[in-house]
Amino acid sequence: MSTSPDILEVLLRPPSGEESIDRKTLAGLLIEIAQSLKPELRAQQNGVRPGDLQFEQLRTLLVGREIETLSRLTGLVDDPERLAAAIGRVLPTAIAQATSDARMGHVLAPVMERAAESSIRTNPGTLINILYPMIVPAIRKSIGETIDETFQRLNQTLKYSLTWRGLKWRWEAWRTGSSFAEVVLRHTLVYQVEHVFLIHRHTGLLIAHVSAENASSQDPQLVSSMLVAIQDFVRDSFSGAEHQGLDQLRLGELRLWSEPGPFAALVAVIRGDPPEGLHDTLRNTLSRIHAERHHALERFDGDSSGLADVEARLRDLVALGEHAPPRVSLARTVVLGFLVLLLILAGTWAASWWHTQQLWQGYLERLRALPGIVITEAGERDGKFVVSGLRDPLAVDPQAVLREAGVNPAWVIASWVPYQALDPQSVLRRLEASLDPPPSVTLAIADDRIVARGSAPRPWLDRAYAVAQALPAGAPGFDLAGVRNEDEADEQQWQAYVEWLRSEPGIVITHSEAHNGNLVVSGLRDPLAVDPLKLLGAAGIDPARVEAHFEPYQGLDPQSVLRRLNASLAPPPSITLAIAGNRILAQGSAPRAWLERAHADAQALPAGAPAFDLAGVRNEDEADEQQWQAYVEWLRSEPGIVITKSEARDGKFLVSGLRDPLAVDPLKLMGEVGIDPARVEVHFEPYEGLDPQFVLKRLQASLNPPPGVTLAVEGDRIVAQGSASSPWIERARRAGNLLPAGAPVFDVSAVRNVSEGALGKLRDAIQARSIRFDNNVMLPAAGQDEILDQLAVELIELAKLSSSLNVISRVTLTGHSDAKGQGTSNLSLSVARAEAVRALLNKRGVDPDQLAVRGAGPLEPLEADTSEAARSVNRRVSFSVGFEEQP
Amino acid sequence: MTATLQKKICMLGGFSVGKTSLVKRYVQSVFSETYLTTVGVKIDKKTVDLSDRIVNLILWDLAGEDDINSFRMTNMRGAAGYVLVADGTRPSTLDVALSLRQRVEAEYGPLPFVLLLNKSDLKEQWAIGDAEIAELRQNGRWVRLSSARTGEGVEDAFKDLAVRATS
Repeated sequence: MSTSPDILEVLLRPPSGEESIDRKTLAGLLIEIAQSLKPELRAQQNGVRPGDLQFEQLRTLLVGREIETLSRLTGLVDDPERLAAAIGRVLPTAIAQATSDARMGHVLAPVMERAAESSIRTNPGTLINILYPMIVPAIRKSIGETIDETFQRLNQTLKYSLTWRGLKWRWEAWRTGSSFAEVVLRHTLVYQVEHVFLIHRHTGLLIAHVSAENASSQDPQLVSSMLVAIQDFVRDSFSGAEHQGLDQLRLGELRLWSEPGPFAALVAVIRGDPPEGLHDTLRNTLSRIHAERHHALERFDGDSSGLADVEARLRDLVALGEHAPPRVSLARTVVLGFLVLLLILAGTWAASWWHTQQLWQGYLERLRALPGIVITEAGERDGKFVVSGLRDPLAVDPQAVLREAGVNPAWVIASWVPYQALDPQSVLRRLEASLDPPPSVTLAIADDRIVARGSAPRPWLDRAYAVAQALPAGAPGFDLAGVRNEDEADEQQWQAYVEWLRSEPGIVITHSEAHNGNLVVSGLRDPLAVDPLKLLGAAGIDPARVEAHFEPYQGLDPQSVLRRLNASLAPPPSITLAIAGNRILAQGSAPRAWLERAHADAQALPAGAPAFDLAGVRNEDEADEQQWQAYVEWLRSEPGIVITKSEARDGKFLVSGLRDPLAVDPLKLMGEVGIDPARVEVHFEPYEGLDPQFVLKRLQASLNPPPGVTLAVEGDRIVAQGSASSPWIERARRAGNLLPAGAPVFDVSAVRNVSEGALGKLRDAIQARSIRFDNNVMLPAAGQDEILDQLAVELIELAKLSSSLNVISRVTLTGHSDAKGQGTSNLSLSVARAEAVRALLNKRGVDPDQLAVRGAGPLEPLEADTSEAARSVNRRVSFSVGFEEQP
Repeated sequence: MTATLQKKICMLGGFSVGKTSLVKRYVQSVFSETYLTTVGVKIDKKTVDLSDRIVNLILWDLAGEDDINSFRMTNMRGAAGYVLVADGTRPSTLDVALSLRQRVEAEYGPLPFVLLLNKSDLKEQWAIGDAEIAELRQNGRWVRLSSARTGEGVEDAFKDLAVRATS
């Protein structure tokens, strides 16, 4: 750093007087600083010589601290970063202090604009985030109101654009040069601002209140506080944001619009239907009040005396309301011109109206004159002619009359109810339309009657007569007497044919007609009656024209019945059928089968038919039948045969029933009676007859009684007599017990038992005898001959007696030995002993065939073989007697 | 309307302490009491004639609730003072009133208020001791006994409040 010489001078000079700092010196110093700040200044002072060392030291001594400060400051100033930091520290304070200076705004504005612009360009999001909460509600509200307004205008435009009032307003818009919408709005603002409250938002206290002359309300101070309270309530209840609130309330036709401002809210009470644009008016007033009385509003503490002028603003709002439509004074010429035009138009219209009326009356006259048209009502409605009445469908078309009368059909509303006119002309027209008379017939009106003349076929005539009958009361008569029937000849021919048919037996005519040249006949016809078609040829009628329908039926006249009987019964040649008076007689002879059929037919003849008398017919089969009857009677009388059914049918005989196998054979009887078995069918079921004869037979077959016994029926019992052996008697008794209930009793009590009596005594005597033997000897012991003799006598007697009783007696000789000795030898010894006795008896005249022999050995002792005496008794031949029935 | 000054005054107190009946006879009222139950607020007006001016006290009668947490503090916004009402026969309502005061002061800072111990006519049931009242007074509270039936203390309280709110 160098120091200029004048600075040196200043520094070396002693302090002068009271001035602490010489101005010159200070200037020098400043230049020095300036040179330090701006190097180019230093370059301009190249001529300065660098100071010497002493001087430099001095300088350091004197202003060392300042130089140091300067150097620090210089460093600060030279280094942009440090400078920026230093200024940054003081900048907010500086700006805050400079705010009062009006220029500050001017200076900063462009910078701020650029800064904001740059900031938005680089990061628009930040700004959007900041602005969003403020702008969006505003936009939303604005759009909402605009849409509401548009709708309101559209409504009104639609409402008024096509009516008379609307046309009037269009005229007014065109005349005043304003838009139609404006005119509509002006005329349709049906509302009045009744109250305006300016309310301090913070305290809810009323700042000012203005009301329309005719409006009434409660104490406005209370009302304003309550409004605020309600706003708070709604906001708290539905957590609305601080800056939001009720901006509209509606009670019937009263509306309450609230416009919030920073310090005060403007609340307007509006009666009627305010335009949305009123919002803007309110908002503008509020912002103007805020602009004018910003401080007063901000500091409002309940003292509204300083805000009296606000009321004037509010009064402007209360003046808002329905405007009277602006009066327009029309120029006289325009009025006159309009009136003249009106007169001309009225005149033209009247003339046209009169003309039209004339045409219309003429038309009505014409219509009235027309037959078949009755006018019940004619008049005008909604600018159109109306006619209604009755019209016969055949009457003249009123539309055609309309054209003739020169009336525009578009003016006329006609309603015609169809009816039948009864004046002769209409009736004639209707008859012509409905009957369509052939060219040979003419219809005409004569003296209120309609007369037909000429000739016509029968169908047309019939139709015409029917129509004439059906004409309503009050209609003219329809005279058909003058019309000749063209079909008369044909009809007579047909009539004759039908009469002929009617006279035929077995034909009943129910319907006959000649229709359109076709001939129809129908009725009933017995199939055996004459064929009506065949009669046609005889009557000279073309069969192609005839339609015949005959239902078959049974004719009940004697001839038809006779014919039918002949056909159905086919009587044999021996029979003749004939009509006698009201009866049909059959004569001759016929087999039974035919007779039966004829009787059945006679029975089946319907009521009203002639009687069929078969009494004169002889039955050819009578002999046969009597023979058969006799045979059946015979069978019936036979025991063991029960006849359940017997009949003679178609020359054959049938018999069926039950037959005991022991009964007589019916077929055998047939031969005896002389009936050909080939003609007979026999069905007998076997059964057990309980007739005593059959029981007897069955008993005889099953018991096979011995010759000494006879069985016989005695009354209801069967009795056995004679003598028999006890086994047979036993068998017979058992058989008697087994007979079924209802069968005759079998009595065997009268049969004697041969085993008892003389034969029995003889048997007992013989059996008591025995022949003794000595030990081991086969011939009888000594002294036995006498016994043998007696025995022989007894045996001979037995044989005789048995024979007389028809019983065979069998005597068995049994030889015995004692128990001593060999068994086999004892057995053979015993047999030998029996043989010996038989031989001895034979010698004495006894038939050996009567005697049987057997040996018992020691096996049948009389006494126990313990002693010689007992052995002696046991050595013997014993006798036993049995009886058998004779074979 | 000669009065040019209005002040918002809130009436606070527990449930059924008699706030509404207290002022009923002495105020100008246009709104039905159903507002209290529906909106929670009923606005009345009490005109107080001070010697030099007339003050309209716009009284916000706030629905009394014993649960002071449900008390809607927003209604207090912008109030120039308030009337605390407690039922002298029910000491708990005094606690409610005092805690209401604390909440108000916490939110809106110190505001002029009057504490009314209501139902002073029910001597037998009176449950707040004189010592307690004296203590309240010592702590610098404007305590008054009041009775809706006799009208004791009501006019004075409003007058006090009007003076203090406008000073």
